[in-house]
Amino acid sequence: MKSALINKSDIRLLLKEASREWNIYAPLEVQGGDVNFCCLPKENIKEALNRVTLDDKWIPVPPKDLFFPQLESLFEIKKNKIEETVEYSKKLLFGIKACDYQGILFSDEFFKRTFQDNYYLSRTKDRLVIIKSCLTPPRQNACFCTSAKTGPFLDKDFDIQLVDIGEAYLVEIGSKRGEDFILKYKRFFKLCSNSEVDKALTVKEKAVDSIELKIDFSRAVELMKGKEPPEEIYKKIAQRCIHCGGCIYVCPTCTCFNVFDDKENEAMIRYRNWDTCVFEGFTREASGFNPRETKWLRASRRYEHKLWYDYKTTGKSGCVGCGRCLTSCPVELGMSKFIQEITA
Amino acid sequence: MAKVLTTCIYCGCGCGLYLISDRMKLIGAYPSQNHPVSKGCLCVKGWNSYEFVNNLQRLKKPLIKKNGKLQTVTWDKAIDRVARKFKEINKKHGPDALGFLSSAKTTNEENYLAMKLARAVFKTNNVDHCARLCHASTVAGLTAAFGSGAMTNSIEEFENAEVILVTGSDTTEQHPLIGSRIINAIDKGTTLIVIDPRKIELAKHAAIYAQPRFGADVAWINGMMNVIISEGLDAKEYIRERTEGYEELKELVKDYSLEYVEKIAGIPKDKLIDAARIYARAKKAMIVYTMGITQHTTGVDNVKSLANLAMLTGHVGFESTGVNPLRGQNNVQGACDVGALPDVYSGYQPVTNASIRKKFESAWGVKNLPDKAGLTVTEIIKSAGEGKIRGLYIIGENPVLSDPDSNQVRACLEKIEFLVVQDIFLSETAEYADVVLPAASYAEKDGTFTNTERRVQRIRKVINPPGQARADWQIICEVAERCGYKGMNYSRPSEIMDEIASVTPMYAGISYDRLEPFGLQWPCSTKEHPGTKFLHKDRFSKGKGTFSPRPYIPPNELPDEEYNFILSTGRTYWHWHTGTMTRRTSTLDREVPTAYVEIHPNDAQGLGIKKDDMLRVSSRRGRIELKARITEKSQEGSVFIPFHFKEAAANVLTNPAIDPIAKIPEYKVCAVKIEKL
Repeated sequence: MKSALINKSDIRLLLKEASREWNIYAPLEVQGGDVNFCCLPKENIKEALNRVTLDDKWIPVPPKDLFFPQLESLFEIKKNKIEETVEYSKKLLFGIKACDYQGILFSDEFFKRTFQDNYYLSRTKDRLVIIKSCLTPPRQNACFCTSAKTGPFLDKDFDIQLVDIGEAYLVEIGSKRGEDFILKYKRFFKLCSNSEVDKALTVKEKAVDSIELKIDFSRAVELMKGKEPPEEIYKKIAQRCIHCGGCIYVCPTCTCFNVFDDKENEAMIRYRNWDTCVFEGFTREASGFNPRETKWLRASRRYEHKLWYDYKTTGKSGCVGCGRCLTSCPVELGMSKFIQEITA
Repeated sequence: MAKVLTTCIYCGCGCGLYLISDRMKLIGAYPSQNHPVSKGCLCVKGWNSYEFVNNLQRLKKPLIKKNGKLQTVTWDKAIDRVARKFKEINKKHGPDALGFLSSAKTTNEENYLAMKLARAVFKTNNVDHCARLCHASTVAGLTAAFGSGAMTNSIEEFENAEVILVTGSDTTEQHPLIGSRIINAIDKGTTLIVIDPRKIELAKHAAIYAQPRFGADVAWINGMMNVIISEGLDAKEYIRERTEGYEELKELVKDYSLEYVEKIAGIPKDKLIDAARIYARAKKAMIVYTMGITQHTTGVDNVKSLANLAMLTGHVGFESTGVNPLRGQNNVQGACDVGALPDVYSGYQPVTNASIRKKFESAWGVKNLPDKAGLTVTEIIKSAGEGKIRGLYIIGENPVLSDPDSNQVRACLEKIEFLVVQDIFLSETAEYADVVLPAASYAEKDGTFTNTERRVQRIRKVINPPGQARADWQIICEVAERCGYKGMNYSRPSEIMDEIASVTPMYAGISYDRLEPFGLQWPCSTKEHPGTKFLHKDRFSKGKGTFSPRPYIPPNELPDEEYNFILSTGRTYWHWHTGTMTRRTSTLDREVPTAYVEIHPNDAQGLGIKKDDMLRVSSRRGRIELKARITEKSQEGSVFIPFHFKEAAANVLTNPAIDPIAKIPEYKVCAVKIEKL
């Protein structure tokens, strides 16, 4: 793998320069210490760059909404004319975590597996991702990427990955696109020495060790393949669950959506928005019959999907170990707790 | 794409959320990670709080009724008509022929201006809002007991309570981010007691669940106090030092023997004893209640009785210890705080107090502010039917669906000489309007909401309003100006808050710059005051807490041979009030697309009713047809209908009988009969 170096102080200069060509999305500190993944406004790039955080901060919603917005218009009818609304722009995603990038790759596959979903794919067409992997888990009790084998560092399938080695980042180049980017902005990058590559190795080992939450992911997958977990486990979850949909809304690989129309007089907009399998309406059929009528049957769906169905269809789990289902859950349910329970 | 921090529009939890916009449309909402209420979570309504804003049915232009039809006009014409008609009615019939319904959905600033419009410009105290229909009993009851009608603790305190007593609150459905904290608290060792006529979700998590009969609250609370006193579990030192009226209470509750209470309320003796002992012995105990307590003809009695119970055991005025009415609407606390009530100005300063009136006269530059309390929501609608209220200005409320006895409400609105409705959609009420004014939604303006824990927090403009719609505060100011009043000239809502702070002691320290990032909890008396986490520390707001012993009085209308079921009404988790927003939100509307009635399996079996059968439910006031939902959540002999649905409006059936003090209707009990269609 090719590597380079960039001084930490040069990151913002690089982003400023790149913003001429790219729409840049990065973790920004907003009010009250919240960090959100935001598009840096070109008209006010300097102020926004100051708020870009390079720390391992928790971001409550993964960047999936850049390609699959919570609500998007598919087409509009105005005066009997149909206008399709397909978005395309050059997107540079800076500061993505390894788990979230795995989520993006998984969703990419989904949106082209059966048919080419142009609304999604158009948004991804010109995309470059710079991963800034975590040295410490942003949420100690929730992150379990080492168990899910999705991080904190990637070995392949990325464009660019930054490893924090103190004053500078070691820049790992994982794709042709990544290499082209580094060449284009080469004045910000330096050659790196073996000692820096070695240093990065030590950093990576320490980062792996820093993730304390360990769950038996592979055993969970084996169990789910063999037989259904006891109903009581799902029933307990269903009794607690308040059906906010949060675990699914924040899941980097949950891609279910609903389609609906907003109509008034001559105007009409066809939308799609995020949907979740914990809702009764998700599986209710037109006749009123619901194959997942009870709360516990609906509660089970997400776990079956991530730990069994995804493996069956793609060979990979849809769970990337980001821990967001736990931290977005008002009643503290989540994939890690489920796995702990079935493998206990 | 922009992400802007704001406050949720739905319940009183007041979650902090980011609204996401793209090219002047909202495309999403998600929680703030560090906000003290949301903490990275939201309920389903919060996650879906953006969609209705985009809806194509939003009102975009002012409308005036011509030949029975609402027609588009310019703002100039619409404001002119409103000002002219209101001045004319005022001149001809006096100020009290006018009425103003403000809104717990709009901001503090807008509620303050609505009451200022009524009082300073038109000289009437006939201004009220939907708190009348939800927590009027709380404001009256807790003010009498403690001196303040608000939640005494903060939301974060639930997780450290030793005992939580939930009554008349379906907390996980109606205040999901509080309900979930209660569930989490149980994991950490909290004991939950649920006493509720409906077998709510929280009942499944409770150490003790007791199912009283509807409207028997005073009886079981008195019964619990009787156990506590007779077993010597009352907080004698606390009672001596901090309260008054204990002897009278003791005298009254001794009549509420376990046998008597079991007969009235149907709670088995042992359960009541257990509940009393657990609650009384706890060091930190919080009571949680909502509409199941307040929406009765004995609403104030119910609230006072809970206050008695808390004071008797010394359970008010400490951390994780208190009486917690959860406010329903996003800004119902604030609308009350800033004086959209007929008897008080902002900060609960009475209109009957001459020196207070003088203060407002001088602040507003007017003379002769009216000195008698005005009419309440329920009285305003009734007076409109009697021809006493001739001009009515309704902001963001939909009484046709939300007030009891809908047919009567419709008849009253028909009779009004001049009705103005200011809203974001053409509501069922707007159909009766002479002038309809298109308002901006919460995502299209700046302002503040005050949540149930008294947290004053910002909402922020994310996108422009559709068409010509304007923020409520701007519209109100224009009406005032057109009426010749010069004292409502603001360039931004922060200036209105500065004025509120200058005349309202409990908001005196509040200004927009201090509300970053997540607000301040009142009382906040100076610019240095850090806000108040829990109330009544060391002493009650009014000095000594007052015991108000109340006897049990049955509900106004109980079942008889013909109308043999009890009907209770309320909300579902998925919808909000009259559905103007949630029924225009695809996810929420799909989940519960139409009206239903909940009935106990035994009753359903007796009547041969199966799931989804169409039923006719009738009361003495009307009838509706809707689907059956069979569930043990309903008590035998009772049914429950949510009030969101215009096609089968629960309030066609409800009883307009009101509490004599709070004037709140008895939404929770009336008699109905059920027929299978």
